[in-house]
Amino acid sequence: MIPSQAFTIAGRVIRQLVRDRRTMALIVIVPLVVMTLIGLSFPESNVLDYIAPALLATLALFFSFLLTGISFLRERSQGTMERLMASPLSRLDIVLGYLFGFFIFALTQSLIILLFTIYALGVNYFGDLWQIFVFQIVIITGAVTLGIFISTFARNEFQMVQFIPLIIIPQIFLCGVIWPVEQMPDYLQWLSVVLPLTYAVDGLREIMLAGKNLLDVGFELAVLVGFVVLTSILAALTLRRGASG
Amino acid sequence: MQNHIMSKSKLDSIAVEVKEVSFSYNNLRVIDRLSLRVPKGISFGLLGPNGAGKTTLIRLAVGLLKPKSGNIRILGEPPSRKTAHLIGYMPQLHSLYAELSVRQNVDFFARIYRLTNKPERSERVEEVIKLVDLWQRRNDAVLKLSSGMRQRVSMACAIVHKPPLLFLDEPTVGLDPELRVTFWEYFNNLTKQGNTLIISSHTMDDAAHCDRLAFMRDGRVIAQGAPNELKQATGQPEASLEDAFLYFLHSEEKKRDS
Repeated sequence: MIPSQAFTIAGRVIRQLVRDRRTMALIVIVPLVVMTLIGLSFPESNVLDYIAPALLATLALFFSFLLTGISFLRERSQGTMERLMASPLSRLDIVLGYLFGFFIFALTQSLIILLFTIYALGVNYFGDLWQIFVFQIVIITGAVTLGIFISTFARNEFQMVQFIPLIIIPQIFLCGVIWPVEQMPDYLQWLSVVLPLTYAVDGLREIMLAGKNLLDVGFELAVLVGFVVLTSILAALTLRRGASG
Repeated sequence: MQNHIMSKSKLDSIAVEVKEVSFSYNNLRVIDRLSLRVPKGISFGLLGPNGAGKTTLIRLAVGLLKPKSGNIRILGEPPSRKTAHLIGYMPQLHSLYAELSVRQNVDFFARIYRLTNKPERSERVEEVIKLVDLWQRRNDAVLKLSSGMRQRVSMACAIVHKPPLLFLDEPTVGLDPELRVTFWEYFNNLTKQGNTLIISSHTMDDAAHCDRLAFMRDGRVIAQGAPNELKQATGQPEASLEDAFLYFLHSEEKKRDS
């Protein structure tokens, strides 16, 4: 079912990032620094307990989208995508290959954030840790495919950086991270329905704050999986060989 | 019947056929009703100034772009994923994974071109790296290599799957004269083995090495032939390829004006 060549690409993506030592160090250190600062800024632990699910969902989306969007753009600007597109690889091979490759690093970052939040910041939660983690994996996968898709619209790194506030910040404000969706004007509530972070935040809150399991958040999970499928297809359809055309 | 057989065998001897192909970028016509035929087993040079449409023509032939009109045949088939394994493509940019070693780069391209048998692949990867004379540097990251060395790695990646048809976009740019000679010796070996090479260049030095040439200007072929034929067409016994190019350019302009 899975195109075998996707693993060849994934292996290459992983090898390439691992050989870039500074990037590897940043992938580990940046989430730790960010989480420490966030932890220190909440002196009352019950507030942090409440905000933790939304924070985990948002940071998973943010870091995974950032990592993937920029790395994928580089593939196009350095001309290697042109070579892949002229090879016998299918578009699906290419998108899945990058998805698997970037996923490993996005997963590492999210695992660091999750474990740090729970063990170092001592956030209290209900629900099983493994179920929280499985839900996080679905969020990360969506963020990675979104990153691949969105990078198609950027022609250079500077443009890609502009997409970050456009894609991430509205979701932070419209998806119930800071303010409940129900208290927003109707038209903004409609907008929040189509934004994936809404479901990511809802689902994680249900598990972590109400002690629900993955079956209970089946709807949110299904919407997020649907988002993964949709963005993968869009990414495969819009895949372009170079940064300039 | 005989005619049919003859035309079929003639077709079999054609590596690339481009018929009345046009292509535009944002309403700017880059390839203008261009036709050409490249017989198998030769080196075919696409010569012309920057902006003549050489790179676009190569991208059309390898299937990265679709013509707006006209058609292209690669070894008898329209360019597609099915023909991709028959083609080696060396783009103008080095187009390599800078953090990976020479060997990892070549091995990656060997894999995506379906050299699945590991011992055979390793042997072939070793063979092409030695061929481009980089065996000593095989474990070095590409980003530590000079421009000429990167060009050689790029070449190794394009030929690792032994394609019968190679498209090389400005392969000699940035090479020192000594390396240029080595590249041409290698190109000649490939054609002797029956492979077809399509090489774009804007230098007359490269042009002289090709078996056949197409002079290009503004998305069109203004003349085609063997280097000697093109020189003779000028009517001057001492004419260089540069003179020949200018001769055809001027007669093309005259034709257009009239």
